[in-house]
Amino acid sequence: MAAAFTSSPNRMELMKVRKRLALAEKGHDLLKDKMDALVMELFNTLKTIQKSRATAIEQLRKGYEAVSACMAVMGTFETMQAAEETKKEIQIEISERNIMGIEVPTVEIEETERNALTRGYSLHTTSSHLDTAAREMERAVKLLVELAELEVTALTLARELERTKRRVNALEYILIPRLQGAMNFIMMRLDEMERENFTRLKRIKAILEGRE
Amino acid sequence: MEQVIKFELGRLNAHLPVKRISLKSALSASRPAVQGKNGNLHYFKREELKLLSKLLPESEWDKLQLPILIALESKLGRGAARISGEIEAKVIGKILQREATDNEIIVYRPELALIRRKLPTTTQYMFVW
Repeated sequence: MAAAFTSSPNRMELMKVRKRLALAEKGHDLLKDKMDALVMELFNTLKTIQKSRATAIEQLRKGYEAVSACMAVMGTFETMQAAEETKKEIQIEISERNIMGIEVPTVEIEETERNALTRGYSLHTTSSHLDTAAREMERAVKLLVELAELEVTALTLARELERTKRRVNALEYILIPRLQGAMNFIMMRLDEMERENFTRLKRIKAILEGRE
Repeated sequence: MEQVIKFELGRLNAHLPVKRISLKSALSASRPAVQGKNGNLHYFKREELKLLSKLLPESEWDKLQLPILIALESKLGRGAARISGEIEAKVIGKILQREATDNEIIVYRPELALIRRKLPTTTQYMFVW
């Protein structure tokens, strides 16, 4: 109590403490609302990540299987050479969106799956296994980019949640109890002063009556 | 600590757009976005815009203002939120498969989670006190 309240206990101070307490309580309510919304957003994102990760891993498994098959049929060197010849560009649009003031990335990716003619390697010298491997890997790339967006979002939300939780706890367990303590102290002190005054007046009255 | 509270309260709604845009103009823009009070741009995903356009007849595309604001009000209780506006309430009602009343719709936590999952960029939180 003493740490929160050091100046003299008077009505002016009581009004100031009441005002500070009202602000702290309002801030606490709003930050708690924000925390609830952040928790919900985080859980939503985590659920999506779970599904997205499972799909991406499954797609990568298919991709690596196809690459292995391709290497077995065409040979490792030829497969690597064909991969070198392939165009390695994909169009990704990275922008931002706001979740309660937190900037998170939004990634929009165009269709990554290309047809065999636009990939860049020679169709005469390669096997159809290469086409399958390329197609499966292109599908995997799209899923991985989408997963990356979700993971960055989850990480950013988790950091903000931690920060907000610290603020809410500081208000709930430190500032608000201290201010309430200070307010009670001032009120008790003012009551005490009133009682002292009352007793003093009674005593003075008794002395004056005794003199008469 | 008081300064921190004031700063946090000031920051709560800083992401809200200066001016909202209609679904029609968002659909016709090459990179649909709105500018927030803090100066940052908030981009909408095209797939969400397409979803909204499927939910509404074309004649109402210019009446739907984006982003749809989800108002978190302390007086509604924890987890509840209000979505105001005739078309906004109508489109949210269609997603939740229930009717909106008096040009607004009150949504609860599981519904809110569903809305945010379906419309992460075209909806935004707004804190009311």
